[in-house]
Amino acid sequence: MRHYRTIPGTIFDICNYLFLSLFALAAVLPFLYVFAGSFASDTELTRRAFFLIPERFTTAAYAYIFSTDTIVRSIGVSIYVTTVGTLINLFFTVTMAYALSKRHLAGRNFVLNLVVFSMLFGGGMIPTYLVVRELHLLDTYWALMLPGAISAFNLIIVKNFFQEIPAELEDAAKIDGCHDLALLWRIVLPLSMPVLATFTLFYAVGHWNNYYSALLYINEPSKWPLQVILRQIVMLSQMAAGDLNAMDPNFEKPPDQSIKLAVIVVGTIPILIVYPFLQKHFAKGVLLGSVKG
Amino acid sequence: MRKAKRWAAILTALLLVLGLLSACGGGQAGNSGSGGDAGGSGGNPESRTESGASNAGNGGDANASEPEPPMEISIMLPIFKTNYPSDDSPVVQEINKRANVKLHFEWVPNSSYTDKFNITLASGKLPTIIYVPDVKNPNFVNAVRAGAFWEVGEKMKNYPYLSLANPVIMQNSSIDGKNYGVYRGRALGRNGINYRKDWLENLGLEPPKTIDDFYNMLKAFKEQDPDGNGKDDTYGMVLVKWTGQWASGFDIIKLWFGAPNKWGVVDGKLVPEHETPEYLEALRFMKKLYDEGLINQDFAVFDSAKWNDPVVNGQAGVIVDVTDNAARLDDAIHRMLAEQGKDQPDVHFVDNMIGVVGDHGLRALPTSGFAGLLAIPKSSVKTEEELDRVLAFLDKMNEPEMQTLANFGIEGVHYTVEDGYAVRISDTVKLESEVEGLNQMLPFIPEDQGLKVKQTPLRIKTEELQKEAEQYVVPNPAEPFISTVYSQKGQQLDNIINDARIKYIVGQIGEEELLKAFETWRRSGGDDLVKEMNELYAAANR
Amino acid sequence: MKPTATSTAAAAGADATVAGPAAARMGGSTKWGRLWKNRWLYVLLAPGLLYFLIFKYVPMWGVLLAFQNFSPYHGFWKSEWVGFEHFRVFFTNPEFFMLLRNSLILSFYNLIFFFPAPIILALLLNEVRIALFKRTIQTLVYVPHFISMVIVASLTYVFLTTEGGIVNELLDHYFGFKISFLTDPAWFRPIIILQTIWKECGFGTIIFLAALASVDVEQYEAAIIDGANRWQQMWHITLPAIRSTIVILLILRMGDVLDNGFEQIYLMLNPLNREVAEVFDTYVYFMGITQGAFSYSTAVGLFKSVVGIILVTLANWTAKKFGQSGIY
Repeated sequence: MRHYRTIPGTIFDICNYLFLSLFALAAVLPFLYVFAGSFASDTELTRRAFFLIPERFTTAAYAYIFSTDTIVRSIGVSIYVTTVGTLINLFFTVTMAYALSKRHLAGRNFVLNLVVFSMLFGGGMIPTYLVVRELHLLDTYWALMLPGAISAFNLIIVKNFFQEIPAELEDAAKIDGCHDLALLWRIVLPLSMPVLATFTLFYAVGHWNNYYSALLYINEPSKWPLQVILRQIVMLSQMAAGDLNAMDPNFEKPPDQSIKLAVIVVGTIPILIVYPFLQKHFAKGVLLGSVKG
Repeated sequence: MRKAKRWAAILTALLLVLGLLSACGGGQAGNSGSGGDAGGSGGNPESRTESGASNAGNGGDANASEPEPPMEISIMLPIFKTNYPSDDSPVVQEINKRANVKLHFEWVPNSSYTDKFNITLASGKLPTIIYVPDVKNPNFVNAVRAGAFWEVGEKMKNYPYLSLANPVIMQNSSIDGKNYGVYRGRALGRNGINYRKDWLENLGLEPPKTIDDFYNMLKAFKEQDPDGNGKDDTYGMVLVKWTGQWASGFDIIKLWFGAPNKWGVVDGKLVPEHETPEYLEALRFMKKLYDEGLINQDFAVFDSAKWNDPVVNGQAGVIVDVTDNAARLDDAIHRMLAEQGKDQPDVHFVDNMIGVVGDHGLRALPTSGFAGLLAIPKSSVKTEEELDRVLAFLDKMNEPEMQTLANFGIEGVHYTVEDGYAVRISDTVKLESEVEGLNQMLPFIPEDQGLKVKQTPLRIKTEELQKEAEQYVVPNPAEPFISTVYSQKGQQLDNIINDARIKYIVGQIGEEELLKAFETWRRSGGDDLVKEMNELYAAANR
Repeated sequence: MKPTATSTAAAAGADATVAGPAAARMGGSTKWGRLWKNRWLYVLLAPGLLYFLIFKYVPMWGVLLAFQNFSPYHGFWKSEWVGFEHFRVFFTNPEFFMLLRNSLILSFYNLIFFFPAPIILALLLNEVRIALFKRTIQTLVYVPHFISMVIVASLTYVFLTTEGGIVNELLDHYFGFKISFLTDPAWFRPIIILQTIWKECGFGTIIFLAALASVDVEQYEAAIIDGANRWQQMWHITLPAIRSTIVILLILRMGDVLDNGFEQIYLMLNPLNREVAEVFDTYVYFMGITQGAFSYSTAVGLFKSVVGIILVTLANWTAKKFGQSGIY
């Protein structure tokens, strides 16, 4: 295997491990601050610019967040939209990408042109809203899932991955009498697990972080996903107190910074968990070789 | 040849798609047309007003004599919390009963209200009452000019409370000299100085009266160790990032020197503020403060959301901003001390004042006096009779009991009364899901006459201070004008001035270059703006 | 390219599912025969195509707003047509070239410094043999993607301000000077790039790790037997395996050279660095506030898209010239 040792190789390994550790540390420090801050009091957050351990530990922010069913319900909405939405994404993307990966398909270039064109030119907020309204999708979860069913960017990359799969593999199956649907299901998809895992993640992250569609298409507050509420709190705590007071004469003070941070934690953790879960699919490289052999 | 053929094929396909497109486009046009219809019929308001005028009289009578079925009113409002009162909240039910209406709320998160507002305009399905955050929003102005909203200025005179509307605010909230919504009133004289009272006392100083006193206070706060900790770790005043038209405390300070509020009137003509010598004098003052380290040296990048932090942390002693901020600063300092076990609950650490005096007497910066409009679309309120009922509802919401209801909820359920003050229950969730947010529909005309929360002496003083400040405010004579030049080039023009003055204060450019920037402003469209503003001004004063 | 295929491109693309069976009944030319043979592929193509037509092409009339003074209340049909007025205003704006320059330079820096970062990180991760370590690092570097820009900007301030910022305190202590990172125009671009690398580099590696996962292990074994060292293995096996992904991403990246990410720039922009910081995105935002966002921003968007499509086409063409597969 690849495990043989040389001196420069060992030096490289040490440097590599060191560098990656430092980079990872730099990557998580701010999140650790957010995490620590969510358990700190508001005065501590005013006083100390940056810290990783709160002096006075309090769960008041979380108690506030979970005191109503608003956040819990919106987490439910987000999970539903993310799960079903991602399945829809994968179906639409994989089917279309597979068809487009076949260079011999008549009309392929034209469709690809359409796709690329749509990536750069778009109708914008109002025309899209009108289409969604005409399809009677307003105030339904479909409005959060269908208008973004395919990301042109992802489609092209998936298509490219499919193109890389050696043609001999499919040809062999074709001789056995498989038609294209079976080919996709039995040969191509199993070979594409890393890719599928990647785009499952990309789409899921997209759904999870999307607040804009909900703002436009959902009028019923009980159907708001988590990000709408998260953003509301984050934006509010960014406003100067004077502005808030002009808006709402009863406004005592902006929401505590600790609530803002707690909301970020609550909004981030669920999607962070998805990644390690998908990670095992990134090590399936051996598969290709085994199929070949 | 092949290429040509291929392009022909693509073109055909595109046409096909376009065909599809235009078919769908047509469908949408029909729909947005229904919104447009209302506007269209609103386009001939003459006939409408006449037939409606008689209706109005009748309607008014009918209202008074016999009970009518409750009117269904839908309202689109911004919400600030993550919870919102639902339509079947007991408070809403109570309002329904007292005002003989059936309310339906469309809550929109405040952070994205403008987008939702635009979409709602485009969709043609407008509620009975819609909150308009910015009266100068071009999309709102366009819709108004197309006759989408009722003109209410004249009608407001027929109602006991609405007729008491402040004429200055009515003018500030007008479009082309008319009012297309009921404004939501706010204090006009909100701006002033907030300062650390304890620091001032530690140093044995009196509250400042003149600009020189103010300067000396800042200097003492920096140099004489006002917190008595023996360390040189304090400075005078916190300023925050200036954006475009808004310049943190400077907008208030420049008035002390006699500079106008955005536009000055010289010999009957409007002059932009920066062309007055007083403005320049104020900028020199700011530069002096900066050079001597009396203001935070990183103010150009200081986030306005953190404005209070240095004062609360005991690093700085002055904030020139809205005076109601004093109470928030004071609260925060108390909280911080309480956490350290050193709180003195009966002491106020912060105090406020209207301003200091230069050669021009006491001058204060007014706010616009309102926070958005409650506008009534013609597409949802078809007749003048209906309009009268909607206005009657908005009028009713100014009754002290209704204000109390929308602010605090139901007595015994959401608050109790102690010594004539309202004390909210501690269950914030209940408050948020039944009461808070309902006050977004209150016009506060002529003012908030409902119950108040128990006031600290500082809050009571602030309220008096803000009322007193109204007589000293310097209005912007160009406030109600909607300029086309400004809408096209305003951002750029503001940037020229804003960048130059900040560079001047931090010493990147000298006075000569500052004046050069003011000339550039003239050449880049400022001349056109001055000309247009003066035309609007002349037309309004004829 | 393939001229024979393209002649029927339009018909096939627009009406794929119907053409198939019809062709079979006609049973005639090879062209129809081929369509019938690929009928299942067209079935697979159909849902996606339908999606693009309904949700992307039907609303496409929105680009025409660029030629109107669109008012949402009037709707599309009643808004006033102004021709190229918005483009005229945009192009004759004295700041146009400043905006163009700033946008392009920032994109260029991004391309040079940010674009390779996830590739390098992925390659370094690929050299790690301790699976647990690799997984942990992967998960950790992926976290910043989820931290909102607002937080990133406020932490940047905390670290870099001249008033007690950690970095400047250290500089002052050891070297006796401070640097105005946040207001000095020279530091604006480096800070933006560093923020981007910190925030998106880890997330960006995922796609390359997926590509690396399909590398045949046998190839490494063969290389080792041939005496290839690790550098040679990386150069001759690992890199080629992700080359096409790199090329595709590079081409697609060309499409938004004039997009710089509004929120980040907006948060880091201030009057003292505006000369290098103001880009199309921030400019359009500010114009939108005073002008009614739709028509003007659509016009600017249209300009950006035209530039984007030209660059994408060029990049794709170049890639094909060099024997890469490109996006088509």
